[in-house]
Amino acid sequence: MLIPHPLLGLRDAQEFTYLGDARLIERPTSGDEADLAEYVFQRDNPAGLHRELWFHEQGDRSWLVVTRNTLTHEILGAELARDVALARKEGTA
Amino acid sequence: MTDLSPLCALGAPAPRRVSLGALTLAETPDCGLASLALRRDTPPPSLALPEPGRWQETDGVTAFWTGPGQWLVEMPGCAEVDAAARLAERAPGASVTEQTDGWVLVEITSTAGAAPVERFLERAVNLDLTRFAPGHATRSTVEHLGVYLLRRAEDRLGIWGMRSAAESLWHTLETIAGRLE
Repeated sequence: MLIPHPLLGLRDAQEFTYLGDARLIERPTSGDEADLAEYVFQRDNPAGLHRELWFHEQGDRSWLVVTRNTLTHEILGAELARDVALARKEGTA
Repeated sequence: MTDLSPLCALGAPAPRRVSLGALTLAETPDCGLASLALRRDTPPPSLALPEPGRWQETDGVTAFWTGPGQWLVEMPGCAEVDAAARLAERAPGASVTEQTDGWVLVEITSTAGAAPVERFLERAVNLDLTRFAPGHATRSTVEHLGVYLLRRAEDRLGIWGMRSAAESLWHTLETIAGRLE
């Protein structure tokens, strides 16, 4: 499997470590316990498109948000998690 | 003080060197290494800082990109001096850390042009060779060992690996080179 790194081009998936659902970026700040429990424990496990976090451990050590089809392993895109988080921050500010 | 004799990363007083077919592998202990990270308000340092996936040389000192805002800097002949202090002079305000003794450098040279180097790379790393022309540098794995690879020229390659795994890395590189014949 090859992951299209936004800075370095196509890279072997073996260089990466998988973390899981990219919604981990969206940590709730409301202070509501139910929201936090939902964030910590509940994950969707879709058969199909999934946005997930990958760490380029044997590379530039960046976190990526990779969009992958879990049925076919087709990878539809990858962005730097930093850019995703910054865009989200600007959107909510 | 006790008179200590320094050893190279591969355990001998002299650096190891072997020629296999067109390729020569040479342990290179005299190159200093330091990491450089720019902070938010650091003024531009007085050396060229390359783009992602590349290396660039300034006055004999080579910087290669390791991550956003971070580089490793090679200083040939500076392994036995304070390499970090020399780099810090060129980059005031930046974060500089000595790295020399954590790493081992193996230089690979070819006597038959680019072909043996490319055949070596095809077997050693899963990299797109069309994106690994001279001027490129990247981190990847060789037999599960993390390394930095620098394509110094068509027929020259530099490989930085972990010093603690120097013998394993050498074994891997020597085996790959030996099987090209």
